[in-house]
Amino acid sequence: MKHLSEEQLIEQHYGEGNAEVRRHLEECGECSEAYAALGHDLAELKVTEPPARAPLYGEQVWRSLSNSLPAYSTPRRFWPRASLWKRIGYAAACALLIAGAFLTGRHWEQRKPPIAGNDAQVKQEVVLVILGDHLDRSERLLIELKHADAGSAAAVSPLREEARDLLPANRRCRQSAMQIDDPALATVLDHLDLVLAELASEPGGLSEAAITRLQTEMNTDGLLFEIRVLRTRVPDKGPGRSHSPREKHYEN
Amino acid sequence: MCQMAENDHAAIRAVLSGDKEAYGTLVARHSHNLFRLAFRITGNEADAEEVVQDAFLRGYQKLETFQSRSNFGTWIYRIAARCALDRMNNRKVEGAGRIAEEIDPQQGNAQMADQTAGPERLLLSREIGTMQETAMHSLTPIERTAFVLRHMENLATEEIASALGVAPNAAKQAVFRAVQKLRRRLAGLRENP
Repeated sequence: MKHLSEEQLIEQHYGEGNAEVRRHLEECGECSEAYAALGHDLAELKVTEPPARAPLYGEQVWRSLSNSLPAYSTPRRFWPRASLWKRIGYAAACALLIAGAFLTGRHWEQRKPPIAGNDAQVKQEVVLVILGDHLDRSERLLIELKHADAGSAAAVSPLREEARDLLPANRRCRQSAMQIDDPALATVLDHLDLVLAELASEPGGLSEAAITRLQTEMNTDGLLFEIRVLRTRVPDKGPGRSHSPREKHYEN
Repeated sequence: MCQMAENDHAAIRAVLSGDKEAYGTLVARHSHNLFRLAFRITGNEADAEEVVQDAFLRGYQKLETFQSRSNFGTWIYRIAARCALDRMNNRKVEGAGRIAEEIDPQQGNAQMADQTAGPERLLLSREIGTMQETAMHSLTPIERTAFVLRHMENLATEEIASALGVAPNAAKQAVFRAVQKLRRRLAGLRENP
């Protein structure tokens, strides 16, 4: 049997032994004797009682100290741990604020219509390029119509051919204008559609009377103005769109 | 006890707000307790008084680090234990032998005498007291301090370690060594009671 060390006995004496030591002391006579001897020796070591102090000893100590202690001049934080929690609270609040701003931003971005890189925008840009060409040709046609010499078949005939050519293109542009939800453009293209249709299908050819009627009834001058206005608008139609040479031409 | 702790905390708040005099109430309240501890460790009245003053001085300087959950009495008590240990270490450097010579036999008698005993027993008690004091001075400062905190102040190993700023195992070993040395020094008393 392995006996207890003196250290184990001392630990046990001061109440910090474990159950195994206690069990061993119950079973082992030799260790039990050694433990009793230790207890006797330690009991002989009397607790030193200090000499009595005067009842006002504390005040005496304070008087001897007080002159050498500087006062805490400014109010200071009493509980460092409390202020630590306050600091942690501030940090958490800031983190929450940042996270909230981030999430709000993300939500806002999701609510906004896509700016770039999606099909609708690409489609709109394509429409605007085609439209630019179409309006350019339509403007030229209306100018030629305005100054057409009705007596010259050679001068008038190309206008009918151009009108027939522009008519399907105008209808496609009109459909596109409806798709991109641009009612002003659609209205102008509607008006242009009527003029082109009249020009293309004028049964008696483009006589002076027919041209005058068109200009009066269809208000081709007004249409020409609207088309010019549209042409100035086309380059800025697409947000973020880079200006192509053609668009720069429109702007000029 | 709880009321005392509340009063202590109120005094600390006042001190940190600039009311230096409030520290006087803390000093008055805890001086006796600190003197008892300091005397047991140093074994010397003058040293004990110096330790008490030094402890309160250090406590004042470190008052801002005192945490609200702590008990001021326990906190200043630990500071006093450290101050006593430091003083013992300084004395050790100055010359360990001189400390034993400084022991006042009359003072030792006053502390150790058994008031209920007869003249012979009283004489023996004085002799035992003197031997014990001599044996105590044979310990190293940390052994003596750890032993006092363990045997006389009934502190647990963890508390001793905390007070002395050492690891619990180091505190435990200091107590073991102290007990072993004292037993050997006082073996004569066992053989001739």
